[in-house]
Amino acid sequence: MSIARLYLSNDTSSRAAGADRVAEELETRSDIQLVRTSSRGAFYLEPMIERDLPDGRAAWCNVVPGDYEKIVAGTGGTPVESIPYLAKQARYTFSNFGVTEPLALDEYQTRGGFKGLEAALAMAPEAIIQELKVSRLRGRGGAAFPVWSKWQAALLASAPVKYVVVNADEGDAGTYCDRMMMEGDPFRLIEGMLICAHAIGATQGFIYCRQEYPAAARTMRQAIQKADEAELLELNDGTFSIEIVRGAGSYVCGEETALLESLEGRRGVVRAKPPYPAVAGLFHQPTIVSNVLTFATLPNILARGGAWHASLGTDRSRGTIALQIGGRIKQPGLVEIPFGMTLRQVLEEFGGGMVEGAQFKAVQVGGPLGSLFPESKLDIPVCYDAFTDAGAILGHGGIVVYDQDTDMVELARHFMAFVADESCGKCAPCRIGSLRAREILELVQIGRGKPNDLTLLADLGETMKTASLCALGGRAPYPVMTAIEHFGQEFQNKLMHKH
Amino acid sequence: MAMQITINGRTIQAEPGDTIYQAAQRAGISIPSLCASDHLAPFGSCRLCLCVIEGRSGTPASCTTPVQDRMLVTTAGPSLDRHRKNIVELYLSEQPEQGQQALVLTELARSLDLHDIRYRQSERRMAYEDTSNPFFSFRNDICVSCARCVRACQEIQGTNALTMLGRGFWAIPVAGAASVSGSSEGFATSNCVSCGACVKECPTGALTEKTVLEHGPPTEFVRTTCAYCGVGCAFDAGVRAGQVVQMIPADDGPSNLGHACMKGRFGWTYIAAEDRVRTPLLREGSRWKEISWDAALDRLAQEFSRIKTTHGPDALATISSSRGTNEENYLFGKFMRCVIGTNHIDNCARVCHSATVTGMMETLGASAATNSIDDLDLAKLIMVVGANPTESHPVVGARIKQVHRRGVPMIVIDPRRTELARLADLHLQLEPGTNVALLNGMGHVIAKEGLIDHRFTGERTEGLDEWINTVADCTPEKTEQITGVPAHLIREAARRYASSGASLCVHGLGVAEHRWGSHGVMALVNLALATGNIGKPGSGINPLRGQNNVQGASDVGCLPTYFAGYQPLDDPKLAALHQQITGRPLPTKRGMKTPDMWDAALEGRLKGLWIIGYDVAQTDPNLKKVHEALKRVEFLVVQDLFMSETTKFAHLVLPGASFLEKDGTFTNLERRIQRIRKVVDPPNGILPDWRVVCEVSKRMGYPMPYQHPSEIMDELARLTPMFAGVSYDRLENPAGLQWPVPSPSHPGTSLMHRDTFPKGKARFIAVDYLPPGETASEDYPFVLTTGRILQHYNCGAQTRRTDILDVVDTDVLEMHRTDMERLQLEEGAIVRLVSARGEALLPAVRSERVLPGHLFTSFHFPASTVNSLLSSSADESSKCPEYKVSAVRVEPVQREELDAEDETELRHIRRQLIL
Repeated sequence: MSIARLYLSNDTSSRAAGADRVAEELETRSDIQLVRTSSRGAFYLEPMIERDLPDGRAAWCNVVPGDYEKIVAGTGGTPVESIPYLAKQARYTFSNFGVTEPLALDEYQTRGGFKGLEAALAMAPEAIIQELKVSRLRGRGGAAFPVWSKWQAALLASAPVKYVVVNADEGDAGTYCDRMMMEGDPFRLIEGMLICAHAIGATQGFIYCRQEYPAAARTMRQAIQKADEAELLELNDGTFSIEIVRGAGSYVCGEETALLESLEGRRGVVRAKPPYPAVAGLFHQPTIVSNVLTFATLPNILARGGAWHASLGTDRSRGTIALQIGGRIKQPGLVEIPFGMTLRQVLEEFGGGMVEGAQFKAVQVGGPLGSLFPESKLDIPVCYDAFTDAGAILGHGGIVVYDQDTDMVELARHFMAFVADESCGKCAPCRIGSLRAREILELVQIGRGKPNDLTLLADLGETMKTASLCALGGRAPYPVMTAIEHFGQEFQNKLMHKH
Repeated sequence: MAMQITINGRTIQAEPGDTIYQAAQRAGISIPSLCASDHLAPFGSCRLCLCVIEGRSGTPASCTTPVQDRMLVTTAGPSLDRHRKNIVELYLSEQPEQGQQALVLTELARSLDLHDIRYRQSERRMAYEDTSNPFFSFRNDICVSCARCVRACQEIQGTNALTMLGRGFWAIPVAGAASVSGSSEGFATSNCVSCGACVKECPTGALTEKTVLEHGPPTEFVRTTCAYCGVGCAFDAGVRAGQVVQMIPADDGPSNLGHACMKGRFGWTYIAAEDRVRTPLLREGSRWKEISWDAALDRLAQEFSRIKTTHGPDALATISSSRGTNEENYLFGKFMRCVIGTNHIDNCARVCHSATVTGMMETLGASAATNSIDDLDLAKLIMVVGANPTESHPVVGARIKQVHRRGVPMIVIDPRRTELARLADLHLQLEPGTNVALLNGMGHVIAKEGLIDHRFTGERTEGLDEWINTVADCTPEKTEQITGVPAHLIREAARRYASSGASLCVHGLGVAEHRWGSHGVMALVNLALATGNIGKPGSGINPLRGQNNVQGASDVGCLPTYFAGYQPLDDPKLAALHQQITGRPLPTKRGMKTPDMWDAALEGRLKGLWIIGYDVAQTDPNLKKVHEALKRVEFLVVQDLFMSETTKFAHLVLPGASFLEKDGTFTNLERRIQRIRKVVDPPNGILPDWRVVCEVSKRMGYPMPYQHPSEIMDELARLTPMFAGVSYDRLENPAGLQWPVPSPSHPGTSLMHRDTFPKGKARFIAVDYLPPGETASEDYPFVLTTGRILQHYNCGAQTRRTDILDVVDTDVLEMHRTDMERLQLEEGAIVRLVSARGEALLPAVRSERVLPGHLFTSFHFPASTVNSLLSSSADESSKCPEYKVSAVRVEPVQREELDAEDETELRHIRRQLIL
């Protein structure tokens, strides 16, 4: 009896989509060998089973029990390459997704893993930083700061010890690419950390992983152990130790300085900058804090050269971006594409338009602090500068689509309530301002608003933007102000008590 | 390298490392702020100080933005002011109803032309109050959550009793963990040490002194110097309607830099205690008769004249007070020398650092701290020997913690696991009384491992070889046998001390108050000399002087063996000068030290004794003997603020004026002479001590027509080379003057022995270890050590008359858990401590600070009669008593054995945690 070797994602989202149920059913069959891989991120097609056929991988999508026989027989599958959602992407950072077993170190290496580190180890720190400068890589966590510049500062700082800290406190609603990376291709993150550690002379690394990601933390731990056993963590005459630290559920701990405070065992409260973490970070030592995706981008840059990376994307946003599309569209999932496509194209070509019966009303890019765009603003190119110019943020690439049933006043209130809950309480504009804004929106929402409330919100919003200590307070007014800007009538109706 | 920056069109100087806010403040440019403080690291919470910097985006806070050369900054303008106004509006929106809001906010609102709060139905701050601290209250409703209190507790005091609790709008400062469980007793149940730093930092009055809440804020301030320990903290005494209502530590106080401790900050209310002695009292049998000042002074003069005539000058003696001013102490010395004609004058330094005086005098030629407190910032290693500064010298203790937190290593040598010992890199927990052995053991390592600074020893010292010979035998292994300190720790400590580059030593009475105390000091000095750790910034030998003016009392000649400035009594040049200035000869015969006086009294040689501000009958060792001696004195005058154990033996009691009621100077532990100023009038026309001396002297035929203490200082300066440049005019400078000040143009001496020692070269004095006067035995199996606690001060006469009593109201016996269990003692059980000389009753408490077999107690409460346990054993040369080692046994006490009064005294348990 021939045994069919089938691939099924073990990603948390895939399991939520039913992968575990499928696995449970298939594992009892002796004619099937089930390999649990990472996910391709086309969640609207999951559960998705793949197998190797002579002309490549074939996929069976939205699998139900009735499909098993076909799969075993190898009939009725769709060639993966022909799925437009995947074919139209430019998978570099996520090239292993859906293909490899997350903890199979040999597979990672076979597919080019650790080539970047190898290249880096042969280079002087200054040369690595030069390569990054050529690559024009900007931090993928949200602030989009040039990566080489941070590294340069950390390299030049003289200190007894330096740290590499991975920000894996992925807190924006509707984002999950960091989690996918840690669950699906953990060695890529490790490799990125090692490259950084080598370049700046760090001896210790931390991954600050949000509490809600138990599977990611588990996988990372196992991967670190495997890498250690394979002596891949040997660096600069010693072992580069990597520790996973779990966050405690605070959104603001995704802000790098609050993250560092939390890592030090203190309250997650934002620090004033300067000093910047690259100069005085964890325990006041030079520290590179970057998002998971930033580190995961490094192996390819070092392996292929900075110029390769710079050849992708737009003028000031080079490389690819990992978008995570969700909300009321047909095809939610992960999309890695070079910067530059318009938001409308993304929603249509990848999102596949609105779900049945839903009409587009608004889209929010960049998490709960992102601006709300109406249909008329969708022709904006997905890149840092166009978003900055539009007073918006690309953030961590989360895109959430709202339909016509969305109450925009309620949505604005919701986001402000989120900030009031998550404010660290250090600076006055955010600490008090977010609650005051929430209270005004609550009054408007229940029909007790006053005509000048919107003026007050705008004035307060300006102060929060201008005077807050960090981006949490500084960005908090954007969802509200863009909601008022584009959907002002809804607010007026509430103020006029027309519900 | 100075920089120039331009703020609002005005170009000002700035230093690298300055923030814009600091540079602006120094230049007198005011930027609104609530959360910034000179004493705290930049924080950036209130956002009121935001600014615009040319060429940069955004509006950073000026308090967190470092200056850069040629920076162009704007801190005001319509846009910035609009945001400021909005922020103040936000602050006001969370405050109580109008009229009850924090004053600082309503003032800001007025300055920004803010009149209406646009927010309605807004949630306000929780009406949380914590009034559990005896000295100050916290009310959350007028707080602004700037965390200055929390940061002060961490950054200045290093106690971490406070934290911010909750997030966002609901983030509030709380003390301890009580608030988490819904209690409002946060301060009282936390490890708060009531230093008051949080209260001082609070910008809104959310934290306020209870005295201010009760009497109102002060209307004027008078700069003065604290009269507790030897740190010499400068305070601004706040007065309202002729009454002190607040003591604020002064930011330009050179030794405290704006910080304080519980005692100095809050422990001054004793000046208004009901039982203060207000009129002179004459004994009539077992009763006291109130008499007039004239009658009292006449009587004193008569009795002293009679005794002098009948028995000669040597039948009279004075014990002066290290609490009094330099001027008063000098005058008491002058009285004894010029009027009586004897050198029988001593002061309470005898029972504390006299061994240090001897030890440092003989090795270095000068007996005072070699450095300034500021040198802690320059040290590369701090070694604390036999001292517990976080309790006994809290402001220095806090400073040491700050330095240590910055990463400077710390070695602590102490039998007890004190707060600093817990924090230290190395704690050498030695057997009490074995300092010399341990220090010699470290010396052995230094000599053997080639760590001697031969250039220094060659150029600046003599006697090195002898010392090397002495320590040659003191291997770490042998030292371990004697001291109980593991040999490897001894090696490590020696290496670190010798090779840090700048090791600063502070020591306390744990070195001095021993049978061989002066040897301990010498052994310590030897280490500094051998490694060149003296005479350069950040390194030296620094005794932590225990009382406000114990340095000064000795400096100005309240010693039987020296004249002012430690000038030998037999110096013919001095004799001539003395004759010329005072008109009387300087007696050359050495006088009696305090313990000699007790012997003299018991033998009937001492007939008249004048004791000023010193409760010998409670605080001296071997109390039985002291009491017997006092009983034998024919005429005992005691001058004090309160009736004490000693007044029980007195024939005449004179009231004293407190430090807040007179002018003068104190000299702190870093040789700094600082002014004290009369803040309020003494009650009932009490004469300050200097006036009393003048009056008695006049009545005995030698007028002392001084109009003001400054004239006394002028005379002292003429007589004493090291004070030659000291005058009240110069002391108007808040920095005071550090002696030696050899001329009016000399700036004073912050670091001693920089180029040379007073006698040319310093001398190693090799000392062998000798066992303490007592060791544990079968009958007395425990070793008792005594010392101070944070909350109280010495005999407790002052602190027991303040609200500090709410924090700690009894002495306790600290005992190791295993000993408690072995003796089956419950926490708080009253035990009888018995030594060969006496006994004392104390409640026993479990403590991790002492080793098994060791006991510790304080001596602040007369009820515990701790000092009756101690021996007369004393340091050979200085007569400094052995307070630190007594062999005792512990006996359980049955309840029925206690009389009711004893029991109520002892049943209290200190609320403060013993950590």
